[in-house]
Amino acid sequence: MSDNNNKKIIETEVPMGMVHSAAIEPYRVRLFVEDEIVRDAEITVGINHRGIERIMEGLPVEKANSLTEKICGICSNSHIWNSVLVAEKALGIEIPERASYIRIVVEELERLHSHLLYLAHGSEVLGHETFAMRLFYIRETVMELLGMIGGNRVQYGAPIIGGIRPRCDLNEMRIKKIKEGMDFLEEKVAAFADRFTSDPMIMARITGVAVLSKKDAIRLATSGPTLRATGVDIDLRRDMESYDPFEFDIITQKDGDVKSNLLVRVFEIFESIKIIRQAIGNLPPGKITNRSWGMQDTPIVKSYIEVPRGKLYHSYKLEEGRTRNVIVRTPSITNIGAMEHACIGAHITDAQLAIVQCDPCFTCTDRAIKIIRL
Amino acid sequence: MSLKSYSRARAVHVMLVYTGGCNGCDIEIVNCIFSPRYDAEQYKVFLTWNPREADVLVVTGPVTKHTEKPLKEIYNSIPEPKAVVAAGACALMGGVYKNIHGDIPSEEIAGPVDEVIPVDAKVPGCAVRPEDILSGLVATLPKLLEAK
Ligand code: SF4
Repeated sequence: MSDNNNKKIIETEVPMGMVHSAAIEPYRVRLFVEDEIVRDAEITVGINHRGIERIMEGLPVEKANSLTEKICGICSNSHIWNSVLVAEKALGIEIPERASYIRIVVEELERLHSHLLYLAHGSEVLGHETFAMRLFYIRETVMELLGMIGGNRVQYGAPIIGGIRPRCDLNEMRIKKIKEGMDFLEEKVAAFADRFTSDPMIMARITGVAVLSKKDAIRLATSGPTLRATGVDIDLRRDMESYDPFEFDIITQKDGDVKSNLLVRVFEIFESIKIIRQAIGNLPPGKITNRSWGMQDTPIVKSYIEVPRGKLYHSYKLEEGRTRNVIVRTPSITNIGAMEHACIGAHITDAQLAIVQCDPCFTCTDRAIKIIRL
Repeated sequence: MSLKSYSRARAVHVMLVYTGGCNGCDIEIVNCIFSPRYDAEQYKVFLTWNPREADVLVVTGPVTKHTEKPLKEIYNSIPEPKAVVAAGACALMGGVYKNIHGDIPSEEIAGPVDEVIPVDAKVPGCAVRPEDILSGLVATLPKLLEAK
């Protein structure tokens, strides 16, 4: 240490997890620290492995679809929607326009609650509990709208093969409530964004912290808002058929730091509100389910959609109406690389923030991964 | 009411442990204690992440094999008197993860919770509703307050 030419690197390992106070979900992080600066990070998942793909193997396809909801409690609709899309693609089922619009409404409401939760979690990790409570209060409106549409606050099960479930149809009263909810949300989130961006302490805390460069983000196959925060303009919603009738912008930021990540989500909230307003404004009349389809055996069919955290992949093949070879790949698995990378070079107190800025959801990530032995 | 239980009733600390559910229940519990809509903090119920500070342990999820040992350790490090609330269908009977196998034993799931640690109150639902969590917490209070 005293000899400068022969400087020894003293690296200390700081393990966190499996159950740790800073992280709600169980996962394990090993930080390799030198002079309080993180030199390397390693995230281990697999603790939550429940083998849901094994459970889905050989179930009737309708049953398997509703099981996908239980993969994740935050983006449950995304999973069931994508799983239903696989079956619809395989069997060539057309869905009525009204059903497609209502699916978008539910999906965008889900994006709202997921992003608000992200912001609340981020504020809590920043140490600003007042913001977190305020955001939970705003988020409650979305949860109530989802509860009204689906009958359950977390797992609403709106899509079924051929359309949506009858109980999720939107009548006049529901449309009115959604409209009111959107007005409330726009006002409150705008007020929050003002307050947030004009707070010098918060801004100083998050600007330039835990930077992920554009090049690294692309190299690590990051997806979703985490990728868009580094300046890459990729959003699968632009290519998805269901989103064709709607006008919306794709939000990008330049820096890839915590600030950009938070701001991307804040602005995406306004875009989601815009999409929901368009959808309930021009909701086409007519049927909500197409029941004229038959089952047949199909090869493996794949489907990618954009969910609140990035790109979600589902695939399976059908045999006598049963699912086989189910594969699910969630966005967080590709974002783990980004999380590890964002930690490097950050101060150890910022490491948790660097992980949280990528919006981790380890519950849905822990399905198909090989179980680790701890 | 003794002084001990008087002061205990004014600071009930809840620790949330997550053992492999789907995140739905956990967020509803955080929501229930944190959000101004339900606001369990007004009844002096606080969320903590330190087992030595906690009075009530809220467990969600079906207890995967990996979380079994940490859960027991956390339970043992909570000081007496303590109470355990199992929240959600997963914590009560294993949920879809355990039961869909029928009688074939699951390779991943060690739960439900009451096979791992003793449970005092059970809150049903998938996901649990915030109102139910509040009543579940209230149901454990007599055990905490009557302890000497
Ligand atoms: S009970 Fe339902 S919502 Fe709760 S963790 Fe289990 S699957 Fe998720």
